[in-house]
Amino acid sequence: MSLPSTALSIAGLHKSFGSNEVLRGIDLSARDGDVISLIGASGSGKSTLLRCIPMLEIPDAGTVTVGEDNLSPEGGRLTRGQESVARRMRGHLGFVFQNFNLWPHRTVLQNVVEAPLFVQKRPRAEAEEEATALLEKVGLAEKRDAWPAHLSGGQQQRVAIARALAQRPRAILFDEPTSALDPELVGEVLKVIRALADEGRTMLIVTHEMGFAREVSSQVVFLHQGLIEEAGTPEQLFGNPSSERCRAFLSGHFDRNR
Amino acid sequence: MDFDFFAGMFAQLLMGLPLTLNLGILALLGGFSLALALNLMRATRIGNAVASAYVFVFRGTPLLIQIFMIYYGLAGFGFVRQSFFWPFLREPYWCGLLALILNDAAYTSEILRGGLRSVPKGAVEAGRVSGMTRFTVLRRITLPIAIRQALPAYSNEVISILKSTALVSTITLMEVTGIARAAVSETWRAVEIFLCAAVIYLALSLLVTRLSAWVERRLSPWQFGVTP
Repeated sequence: MSLPSTALSIAGLHKSFGSNEVLRGIDLSARDGDVISLIGASGSGKSTLLRCIPMLEIPDAGTVTVGEDNLSPEGGRLTRGQESVARRMRGHLGFVFQNFNLWPHRTVLQNVVEAPLFVQKRPRAEAEEEATALLEKVGLAEKRDAWPAHLSGGQQQRVAIARALAQRPRAILFDEPTSALDPELVGEVLKVIRALADEGRTMLIVTHEMGFAREVSSQVVFLHQGLIEEAGTPEQLFGNPSSERCRAFLSGHFDRNR
Repeated sequence: MDFDFFAGMFAQLLMGLPLTLNLGILALLGGFSLALALNLMRATRIGNAVASAYVFVFRGTPLLIQIFMIYYGLAGFGFVRQSFFWPFLREPYWCGLLALILNDAAYTSEILRGGLRSVPKGAVEAGRVSGMTRFTVLRRITLPIAIRQALPAYSNEVISILKSTALVSTITLMEVTGIARAAVSETWRAVEIFLCAAVIYLALSLLVTRLSAWVERRLSPWQFGVTP
């Protein structure tokens, strides 16, 4: 059996905001089908790391590879040529934000077909058919003509997931997808993400939901002050973490949830 | 009351309506394009300074003075009289229209700036991350949201510019107010004549108010709770 190929990889990633060095040399790669959870205290750099992959934050140094494309920006900015590579890379990724970031002036269906129509230039009939199927998958088929403002947070996030899937991405990046939700709405979003994991989708998930991370991940990565402190299978990392900091972080987390 | 006089006057003043509308609509179109350009310029530091200076000058001086400066003032410069633009700039119509456009652009650019600032950063980020070019983000996300936000303030500007067209009567243009002034100097019945003119402007304002309310309802359904 041949190994799945690499969907995306990150090498030697550095990023500072002013004098604050947020990422201090990160190496990470995901093969097709991997589900990687990024955990760590707030300020450990996990969201910045995720945002560097589609160049929402431009790294100061290091290389990001998505499929066939790679970028090594210098000095925290992209040249014109790099900008167009970045756009191609973004097209191969789906991104789900903490605050959903649906387009408020478009209906649910319009949100989902926007990128297929206006970026990928697919035919409308095909895009709408696929979007309808995706909305059905996230359980919101009957909301296709609703406005985002009329949906609950959990519903908005499920639309955002459908919107990410509509790009037919090679990998989906989740930036704390349930952190902005009321506790009773977290479950419905996690259920959708879990179903995607079962389908074999490639995903990177920044999360504070430890139980969820343990359950869906093929790999868990613990970040501390801009570096990967420990990485391994969920069994290793949650069952028997070798790093003292990781152990402290996890016990703090589980104490709080008790 | 002399109804025949009113009816005759109305008919006469309405002859000026096409020019009033022509000036108003072209000023709005030109002003909006220039306002958009001014806002795009604000992305750079020098551009921002230029745009701010422009707004300061054209919002800070009376439109009447701007009209006079362009109509009477420009002719004083030899290079203007020699230039390609002279056939236009010696016509009161083009001078009046130019002044209206420049003035409207200053106000509209501020209205648009307010709208642009209200566009949620997350909506723009979601556009970029889906692979859109900067232009597509502007066309599909930023501008549609900004324009919806700016619409109530912009309808004020539309009414204001339609009324401001009255000022070009001072440089011999025979739009509604120009015809009214000529009629007053013939008949000396100032109250009746200006009343007729005022009614025409009122009707225009009413039309704009209704139109903008309709457009607003159509464009910002998520705010009004309307489902399509």
